[in-house]
This record gives sequence, C-alpha cells and structure tokens, in this order.
Amino acid sequence: MNARLAILLCAHVAITLLMPVLMVGLINRTKAWWGGRKGPRLLQSGWDLLRLLGKRPVVSTVSTPLFRAGPWVVLSASLLAAQIAPLLGPLAPLQFPHDFVALAYLLGFARLFLMLSAMDVGSSFEGMGSAREASFTAYIEPALFLLVGSALIGTGQTSFAGLLGHWHASSNFVWLAAPAVLVLLVLLQAEAARVPVDDPATHLELTMIHEVMILDHSGPELAAMQSGAAVKMTLYAGLIAAMVNPFDPLTHPVQAIAVTLLIVSLVAVVIGCIESLLARLRMRSVPNYLLLASGLAALCLLAAGQLEMIG
Amino acid sequence: MNALHAAHAILLLGVIACLLPLRNAQRALAGVATQLLATLLVLYVALPVALGGAPLEGELAWAYPVGTLKIRLDALGAFFLCWSLPMTLLGSVYAVGYLRRFYKSDRHVGVHHALLNMTSVAFLVVYTADHALIFLLGWEIAALAAWLLVIWDYPNQKVRFAGFNYLVSTHIGLMFLVAAFMILYTHAGSWELGQFGDWLRTHPGAERNLVFVLLVISFALKSAFFPFHSWLPRAHAAAPAHVSALMSGVIHKAGLYALVRFLLLMGRPDEWMGWALIGFSLLSAVIGALYTVGQRDLKRLLGYSSTENVGIAGIGIGVGCLGLAWGNGALVILGFAGGLLHVLNHAFFKCQLFYAAGSVYQATHTVDMERLGGLARLMPWTAMAFLIGGVAISALPPLNGFTSEFVIYSSLFGNQALAPWARVALVGTAAGLAFVGAVSALSITRAFGVVFLGSPRDPKVAHAREVSRWMLVPTLMHAAGVIVLGLVPVLGLALVERSAYLAVAAVPDVEPVATQTLRSLADSLTRVGLISAALALAIGLIWWLRTRFTAGGGRHADQSRTWGCGYAATNPRMQYTGSGFSWDFSLRFRGVMSLLRREQKPLGYFPAESHLATQCVDAVEQRLFTVIRHGDRSASGFSQRLREDDPRIAFAGALVAVLVIVALILMREGSLP
Repeated sequence: MNARLAILLCAHVAITLLMPVLMVGLINRTKAWWGGRKGPRLLQSGWDLLRLLGKRPVVSTVSTPLFRAGPWVVLSASLLAAQIAPLLGPLAPLQFPHDFVALAYLLGFARLFLMLSAMDVGSSFEGMGSAREASFTAYIEPALFLLVGSALIGTGQTSFAGLLGHWHASSNFVWLAAPAVLVLLVLLQAEAARVPVDDPATHLELTMIHEVMILDHSGPELAAMQSGAAVKMTLYAGLIAAMVNPFDPLTHPVQAIAVTLLIVSLVAVVIGCIESLLARLRMRSVPNYLLLASGLAALCLLAAGQLEMIG
Repeated sequence: MNALHAAHAILLLGVIACLLPLRNAQRALAGVATQLLATLLVLYVALPVALGGAPLEGELAWAYPVGTLKIRLDALGAFFLCWSLPMTLLGSVYAVGYLRRFYKSDRHVGVHHALLNMTSVAFLVVYTADHALIFLLGWEIAALAAWLLVIWDYPNQKVRFAGFNYLVSTHIGLMFLVAAFMILYTHAGSWELGQFGDWLRTHPGAERNLVFVLLVISFALKSAFFPFHSWLPRAHAAAPAHVSALMSGVIHKAGLYALVRFLLLMGRPDEWMGWALIGFSLLSAVIGALYTVGQRDLKRLLGYSSTENVGIAGIGIGVGCLGLAWGNGALVILGFAGGLLHVLNHAFFKCQLFYAAGSVYQATHTVDMERLGGLARLMPWTAMAFLIGGVAISALPPLNGFTSEFVIYSSLFGNQALAPWARVALVGTAAGLAFVGAVSALSITRAFGVVFLGSPRDPKVAHAREVSRWMLVPTLMHAAGVIVLGLVPVLGLALVERSAYLAVAAVPDVEPVATQTLRSLADSLTRVGLISAALALAIGLIWWLRTRFTAGGGRHADQSRTWGCGYAATNPRMQYTGSGFSWDFSLRFRGVMSLLRREQKPLGYFPAESHLATQCVDAVEQRLFTVIRHGDRSASGFSQRLREDDPRIAFAGALVAVLVIVALILMREGSLP
C-alpha cells in the first residue's frame, strides 16, 4: 500500500512537471489543425524552454534584483501550489484541512511577484498589464472559494483533495458538476491567460495582459515565466480531472492516472478549439465575463445549500 | 501586580523627566529608557498570564466618590499588553530618528516622548481595568494622547483640522460608551465590570440589545470600522509616521479589545449579534479595501487598510460570537483565535508599513505616489521592509498575515453541525474575504510598484537617501516578527489560545471539543508554517540552480533600455501612474466610492492647454457634510417662514409643553405602584 502511494505521489509530481509542456503542445497542435497547418511538434515548448535556458538574459537598466528573482518566485510558488492541488482524484502530496486556502494564496503570491517584476522596469505597457491582471483576478478570486464551499457542503470533507475527489459520490454532484467544470474552465482561462480573457498570440502591447508583463524578460527568466503559466494551466485542468475522475487512485492506480491524463489532454484540446473559434473579448467586457463565472459559482453554492436542506 | 504598579510609576517618572528643562536628546533618552524598563517589567508579568498562568488581581484604595478600584489582568488583557508595550517602545525609538532634526531647534521634543509614555500608561490602565471608571480613564488618556501626538505639526492648518476631526469623532464614541455604562450601572448597581457581566448574562432582551448596539458603535468609532472611519484617513495622513503606526497598529486595537471583553462578559450573546458583527465587519473589510485602491497618498492608503484589517479581525470575532450563541465550541475557538491572531499580525505588519512610508517621507518630503518612483534602488532597506509588509498585508504566504486569515477561513469553512443556510452564509463570507485579499494585493502591487519600482517621477526624489538606523532598526524588527510569525505560526497561536479559552468557559460542556479543535488547528498551522518554509526553500533552490546551471547566471547580465515599443526616449513622468493603475477598477465601484475627475481635453488642431485631475474622496465624509448642509438649509428655511409675532405659534408651543408635562406626570404615576 505504501509503495503504491509513493508511486502515485511520484506520478503526481511527474505530471505537474511534464504535463505543462504537453498541454501547451496539444493546444498549439489543435490551433494548427483548425488553421489547416501541420503545427509544431508536441514537445516543442519543452525544447523552447531548454533553448531559452541557454541564452544570456538582457535586463533593463532601471530594474532591481526583484526583476530577475520574480520569475523564479512565480515558478516555485506555482509548482508548490500544484502539489496541493489534487490531480488524480482524492489524493495530493500535500494535504491537510483547508489546504485550498494555501493553494489560492500561493497562486496569489506568484501573481504578486509576476506583477511586481513586470513593474520593475518602469514601462507603461507593463504597468497596464499588471493593473489588468490585478483587477481581473479580484473579480474571479471568490469563484474558487464558492466552488469549494459547494463541494464542502456536499461531501463534508475539509481537505481540497478530499472534497474535490469525493464530490462525485455526493448527492448534489449531478446538479453541480456541469457549472463547476465551467467555472474551473473560466478560472483556467483567467489564470493561465488564454482566450477569451487574454490572447497569448497577440502582437499589440496595448491589448495584452500576461504577455505584456513578461515583455522585458529574456533568457532563463522568460523560460521560468512561461513554464509558470503552463504549470498554472495544468493545475486547473488537473482540478477538473480530479473532480470527474471516477476511479480511486489507491485501488485503481493505473486507471486513475490514465483517466486524469486523458481529461487534462481533453481540456487542452478544448482550450485549443476555443482559441481557434472565438476571438478574445474586448478589454472592457472581460470583467463581466469573469463576474459571470463568479456569479455562477455563487449560484452553485446557493443550490448546494438548497439541495442540502431538501435532502 | 507590584510589577505593574512599578511599570506605571516608571512610565510616569519618564513623563516628568521628559518635561524637565534638559536638552532635547536627553529628554528623548529619558522617554525611551523608561519605556524600555516598563516594557520589560510588563512582559515579565504579562507573558506568563497570556501563556496560561493564573490571572492577577489587585485593588487600589481611592478617595470617597470612587471607592476601591479593582484591577485584574487575565489572559485577554495580558495578550494585548504583551505586544502593545513593546511596539510603543519601538515607536518611541523610531520617533528619535524621525524627530532628530528638531533637536537643535526650539521645539520641545520631550512633550512628544512624554505623550508616547502616556500612551503606554493608557494601555496598562485599559487592559487591566476591572472597573468601568478606570476603563474610561484609560480610554480617555489614550484618546487625548493620540490627538496631541497627531497634531505634532500643528502650524499646518490641515493637520489641526485632521486633529480636531479625530478629537470630535473619538468623543462621540465616548458618549456612546458612557451611555452604555450608565445603563449598565443602573442595573448592576456597581461600576465593576464583573457585576456588569452578571447583569448582561442574566438579562437578555431589549435593553441588553441596546447596550450591545451602543457598545459596538463606540468601539467601531475607536477601531475605525466603516462607516465610522471618516476621521481616519485624514488623521493618518497628518500625523508623524510613528504616530500613524501606533494609532493604526496598536492604540485603536483597544476598540477590538473592548469588543471581545464585553462579549466575554455577556457570556452567551444572541445569534443576531454574531451575524450583525460578521456583516458589519465584512462591509468594513470590503469598503476599506476598495478605498485603498483609489488613494494617491501612501499614508492615507495605509489608513484605509486599517479599516479593512479590523474588518477581517471582526469577522473572526463575529464567528466566535455565533459559536457562543449556538454553543459550538469549535466555532468559538476558531473565531476568537483567528480574530485575535489577526489583531496581533496586523499590528506587526501595519506598523512596519507605516514606518517604511515615514522613511519615504523623511527621504523625499512627499508621500504622493505620483511624484515618487524608483526608490528601491535608492533606499533598498526601506523597500525591502515595505515589500515584506505588503506581502504580509495581502495575506500571502510565507508571512504572518496568511496564518491568521487561514484560521479565519477555517472558521468559516466546514462545520458539519450547522444548518445548511448558515454554512452557505459563512462560505459566502469567505468568498468576500477572498475578494478583499485580491483587492488588497492589487493595492499593494500598485503602491509598491509605483513608489519603489521604475524610475523617479520627480527629479527631486532622485536624490533620496536611506534613512538613519534609528528608523531602520524598528522597521526591520517588525519585519523579523512578521517573518517569524509566518514561519512558526504556532507561536502566535500560543499567545491567543488562552484568550479564546476564556470565551469557551461561558458555554457548558464544550471544553473537550474546543481542546480537540485547538489541537487540530495547531496541527494545520504547523503545516502552513512548513508550506511557507518549503516555499522559501523552493525559491532558494530554484534560484541556486538557475545561477549554477544556466547562461548569464552570474551577477552580470547584459543591460539595455526598457522596451518602449520603439519609442524609447521617454520622460519618467510617462510611466504608468498609480491613478492610471486603479482607475478602471475603481470605476466599476463608483457606487460606493466618490471619484472626482476634472479634465480639459486637448481641443482643435493646435491644442494649447489640457489637464486632468482625478481624486478619490471619502464618500462617508462627503455625504456627512452634504447632509449637514441640507439640514442647515432646511432648518434656516423653516425658521424664516415662522413669524415670531404670530400668536398662533405661541399658543401651539404652550399647548405642546402642557401635553408633555401631563404625559410625564401620568407615566410617573403609572410606574409608582
């Protein structure tokens, strides 16, 4: 049993380290397919990261050490948060009561350093990007807690892995699964800067959010920023996977891992399709989109309370 | 008990020494030295009590109208004393650095230090009083000392206005407090707080509700809850930095102390009181956070964030109050422990932030964000202190702000024993708290990014230098506290758990549940500390790997200009401004904030003049003056329409007077038998 647990935890860590590369590859391939192109290799983003690691960085003359430390803070905090997030069902390497608070705030810590290291170069573009990132997160931040609250009322568990992994056994899951997946998807789009919130492929500084914040980063620091964003994307996709994964990893480890990988890949394909078929929203409509997601999460919570009262 | 009396005496001797005709430096030395002695004495007495020792009791014989005065130091008072006095001491040390340039002038710096000593005396009095009159005495000493400290720069008219604004507000609060005490005295027949408690416990009903409301309004005015905060931004902007720090971090925590004290006296409050406290506190937290976003003045911003943070602590206390009402031991422990822990943590990081802001003011003579910039390279220590405090105030790991919010979150989430709708309401509160956290992260990013990063927006700022050690040392000591409490949160929990237990005593048969909750909470907090340590380690490790194994890993990197989209010859004034950073966000909340915007757009083919000024003013204050103006107008309009020589009015007035007198007599008759 313990050996199995150790293998599962290793699998979790491996997924958080490798899956980000594959997800980016899958998204790019999907977009290429819709565009009628062949597209890059699946692991191309991994090679890109390695190439960036070998480059000498160029830093702005007005920057402080914060500028170069920031990306590594972002990467470490995101990786640590990914160890709290359940990916394989009710299991995570770091697990304790109310650990979802730690997860949300670790991501907040990563975001703070992302924004500060952007503002360190004193560029208006990057200030604008930070302002957007900061205010858009404020609109979406309650959503995760509302969702966790709905799962918590259904399952009675207190750890993130427990309440998300066991949610499908609870009576209110039938009603709440679809909206919950939707909310998590919007959270992913907001946190990992995907269309329709942000367009990673845009070329105009004035319309960027995430890309404009890493405009001045280069070499290994750029690699850290990009992999940090990819880790966050994998984290949210993993939350969706853990929520709908019907297998208990402790009894059916192979199936659980396979289903998780499948769902994460599926999420990547869905993101790719959305990015190919939709344009990004106008900047002033993005808050409404995010507030809708938060509102949906609030409805989830009210429904969970109501279902609990009836049931 | 004797040590406490000795501390009183030493502090008062210090006051006298500060006022002696010595040189300013000697007066300051006397103040700081006596503070140090008194602090050591008080820690020697209070720390064991806070950590679980027996409460201390004592009596003072006083002349006739007052009688014997009871003094009592229990875990709650000891907890507040344990950090209030040391922080006041650090504030006095900072004051030395801040006021040193006046030593050679003819300003009497001793008065300032004497007032700081009086503040410590007020803490000793308030936190040990078991007698309502003594409590009021301490309360009033603190208020007056704070007012006099605020108006240090009294030749400035704005400072005087801010000071009087504060004085009026705090005395309105005092009136509510006195009203509540008068009701309590008529029923309890004694000024002792214990007797007040006996009546409060045994007489739930309309009159107890009235007392509760009066007390909450008074304490809310003291701690600057919304909408009783209108004095706060002005006072914090006007006062010297250490005074703002002490007011926000330490002095106004007396309001929360008194709130918890009276909840404990009440034993089992009603359910609505808990909900009211939670709603009121959440409102304060949200509005306070939103207002921080719009401010240009760094110290005003920090002032509003006090409103936000007392709100967060108030949520914890409200949850504890609900736990008392429902007899739920777990909620009582989590709520009170979370609320009190946040009070402690807030004191640590808020003082630190104000000290850093004061250093900025000292070095650049302005706290207007739009003139600052690039200070991180000029004042690295101050910048580091502000960053640490900022991360802590946004409740982010690995620092202490996160630990107390974690406890408050765990009180809001997950209690199986509650009704579904109650759980929904608590989770909704948690979501509100998450919003507050995100907004405060926004405003700290904005403040730190605009003030410390980039390049100076005003050429005068470019000559700023790091401040003296007198100011740096207190700031960095607070930073050390913030880090230690973040990495080892059980230390903070150990200080507050006895106070939380005081509340549990009111509910029968929940002691085992409470103990178990506390144990699992300590367990979770240890893990939170470990996660924080892991985060620090991971950052270190990845940074080491990066410098060891990647290109350009050494200290030297190629340098170039910031990417400016091909337009690189920019003026530092063209950096993103603080107002620009927050304008879009603030606009979405213009319903609760009053945003003023005066602009003249460039017109025509050869635009000559154009300007833009934006300002975020306090809606409550603005509303207050609007209401007063309208009231004044309608009253004067009414009196103009009345004619003095009209006999009908005289008859009507006399008739009303007769009716009132008759009614009073009838009521009196009715109550006689």
